[in-house]
Amino acid sequence: MRQLCIGPQMSDGFPVLLLVMAAAAFLCRAAGFTLMRLVPVSARVEAALRATPLAVMAGIAALALAQGGPAEALALGVVVVLTRLIGSDVAAALLGVALVAALRWMGV
Amino acid sequence: MSGAPFSADGFRRGMRDGVPLGISIFAYGLGFGLVAAQAGFGIAKAVATSAAIYSGSAQLAAVNLLQTGSATLWALFATILVINARYLLFGAALQPWLWQAGALRAYGSLLLLGDANWMMTMRAIRQGEVDRAYLAGTGAPMLAGWLSGTALGAGAVSILPAPETMGFDLMLPAFATAMTAAMVRQRIDLLPVVVGAAAALALAPVAGPALAIIGAGLAGGAVAAALHRAPDE
Repeated sequence: MRQLCIGPQMSDGFPVLLLVMAAAAFLCRAAGFTLMRLVPVSARVEAALRATPLAVMAGIAALALAQGGPAEALALGVVVVLTRLIGSDVAAALLGVALVAALRWMGV
Repeated sequence: MSGAPFSADGFRRGMRDGVPLGISIFAYGLGFGLVAAQAGFGIAKAVATSAAIYSGSAQLAAVNLLQTGSATLWALFATILVINARYLLFGAALQPWLWQAGALRAYGSLLLLGDANWMMTMRAIRQGEVDRAYLAGTGAPMLAGWLSGTALGAGAVSILPAPETMGFDLMLPAFATAMTAAMVRQRIDLLPVVVGAAAALALAPVAGPALAIIGAGLAGGAVAAALHRAPDE
C-alpha cells in the first residue's frame, strides 16, 4: 500500500488526495440513489423511506445529548419548544446554537 | 424520463429556504477553515478540500487522518466512505422523487446534497413539493456559505475564537432537533424518532457515531415497514 507523508511540507501529492476524497464523497452521494432504482417502491418501502429522515435526525440529536452536558440538553430542549412556538425550525436551531454558546461562555 | 418539473421557479424557492442554511453552514465552514489552517492547509487547499468533499464531518476526519502523517490513500477513502455512509440513505430516500427529473439533473443535484438540505427537502416533499430543482436550489447557498466560510476561517485563523466556543459543533444536532420537532405531526411520527434515537445510542459505543446514524435510519425505516398496514386505497 502506498504510504503518503502529508503535512505542511508536502504539496505535490495533494491533487491525488483531493481526487480520492472527492471520489469517496461522491460515491456516497450517488450509490444509495442508484441502488434504489433497482428496488420497486411499494407502499411498504415508501413507509420506510418516509420514516428514515425522522429516525436519522433523532439519532443525531440523541448522540449529541449523550455526548453533551446540561448546556447541550438545555439548548436542544429550547429548540423543540421554540420550533413549536415560532413555527420556524431554522430560526429555532440558530437560537439554540446561540444559546449553547452563551451557556458555555457562562461556564455551564 | 424527465417528466417532473425542474424549473427556475423551483430552484428559487429552494434557494429562499436554503439561505438561512447557507448562513449557518458559513459559520460551520469557518470552523473547518480554522481546523484545516491549524493542520497546515493554506486557504487554497482548505477551500479545495471543502469543494471536493463538501461534508464537514468527513473533512474533519480526513484532516485528522492526514495530520497523523502516515495516512494511506485507502485509509482516507475508507474514512470518508464510513463517515458519509449516511448519504447512501439520503440518496435512497430521495430516489423515487428525484429520479423523475432525469439522470443528469438528478446526479447534478446530488452533488449539492448535504445533511441540512436533505432534511429540508424531505420535509418539502412531504408537504407536496413537486419541483425537483428545489433540492439544487437549497444546496446553492449552502455551497456558497461552506466555501466562503472555509476561506475566511483558514485565512483568519489567528483572530477567530475556537469553533466550540461559538457552539458550531451543536449546529447539526440543533437543526436535526428543530426539523424533527417540526416534522412530528401525529403520534405515529414519534415511532421512528424513538426507534432512531434508541438505535443510535445503542450502536454508538460499539460502532462509532457515523455508523450509529446509519443504524438509526435503517432501524427507523425497518420498524415503519414492518408496522405498515396495507392501506385501503
